[in-house]
Amino acid sequence: MSSMSPSERRLQKELMSLIKEPPQGVTVDTESVHQNLSEWKINIKGSEGTLYEGEDFQLLFKFNNKYPFESPEVTFIGTNIPVHPHVYSNGHICLSILTEDWSPALSVQAVCLSIASMLSSCREKKRPPDNTLYVKTCNKNPKKTKWWYHDDSV
Amino acid sequence: MESVGNNDANRDELIIQQQREIEKEISDSTPLVSGQLPLTCLREEYNGDEIFTEKIRELSKKYKFIRRTRPDGNCFFRAFAYSYLEYLITNNTAYQEFKILAEASKDKLVQLGFPSFTLEDFHETFMDVIKRVNPTNSEENEKVKNELHTVFNEQGYSDYVVVYLRLITSGKLQEDADFYQNFIEGDFSIEEFRHQEVEPMYKESDHIHIIALCTALGVGVRVEYLDRGEGDQVKAHDFPEGSEPKVYLIYRPGHYDILYPN
Repeated sequence: MSSMSPSERRLQKELMSLIKEPPQGVTVDTESVHQNLSEWKINIKGSEGTLYEGEDFQLLFKFNNKYPFESPEVTFIGTNIPVHPHVYSNGHICLSILTEDWSPALSVQAVCLSIASMLSSCREKKRPPDNTLYVKTCNKNPKKTKWWYHDDSV
Repeated sequence: MESVGNNDANRDELIIQQQREIEKEISDSTPLVSGQLPLTCLREEYNGDEIFTEKIRELSKKYKFIRRTRPDGNCFFRAFAYSYLEYLITNNTAYQEFKILAEASKDKLVQLGFPSFTLEDFHETFMDVIKRVNPTNSEENEKVKNELHTVFNEQGYSDYVVVYLRLITSGKLQEDADFYQNFIEGDFSIEEFRHQEVEPMYKESDHIHIIALCTALGVGVRVEYLDRGEGDQVKAHDFPEGSEPKVYLIYRPGHYDILYPN
């Protein structure tokens, strides 16, 4: 344990807690994590009574060695990307805690809960209005987009 | 909701790259906390500016030295922590009291709803730093002060202290939300303000941050405002009002450094 960097220690601790006490509808793909502690796949279920009931999604978390001082890079991956006004069809998510409102006191679990709540509060399944253009021109890393958060109510 | 000027993805990248370069230049050229410097060194920055030169002359009657902090948005928290711990090194009674208060602060934050899980790390390191600057006896003071300086220039420790103070500040805002709501401009709720302007690193501090932190820790702070305002005197303000200052800071628009009274 002592040879771990502070960021690895923190990730290890978060992982144990997420495996032991996962929030409802959230499961870590432990296989993926054991291969590489800096890339986690996390499965997330659409909650009952919401527009996404019965759907399964997968998130990819990438951490660099400045975690938790820098936010993780988080995207939806796989074949089912939720149709949501804050989620681009390439899996990029527009959520302020993933960039400028990130705090080291947040965690993987807090991010999962935020994303779950973002999905649950959705009233109409649709893509962001600028989806086509964004997906065509954006960087692979969503943290390299200067997001403009102006509607948290959606 | 949309990405800004999404047809300008390359421009986004350039802006972010440029920000990174500026940040790197700052971190390469300025330590997190500098050594003690004569206050008059400020003059060079305002070379030839009459208003500032006069104000610095007035200020130097009260303060001989300044200690600079890195302008990274965390300067208030870093300057506050450094300056207060430096004071505690010379006052064992206050040190012991603060240690007890700091020890108990974690449970209080957990009660306020902070996740104990992430809090623990920051609290542990915070206590670690406090223990490392334990004033054993007055002969050792210089040695302990050197230790403080070393610790605060190690990013690992220094930033953990900043995070923890940000959480204490946020906790106070939540605890006395009715009171602090009055200070918040615009449509921000206390909740939003805490999550967007207090808890994230690198977000600059305003009066509301200072009042909340000082009140939470029971520490008086005097801030001297060096700006282009009227008169030839630098205006001072004590937080909380009427308290006896233990920490002295100088504020220039956008930045806090530490002052040493004569």
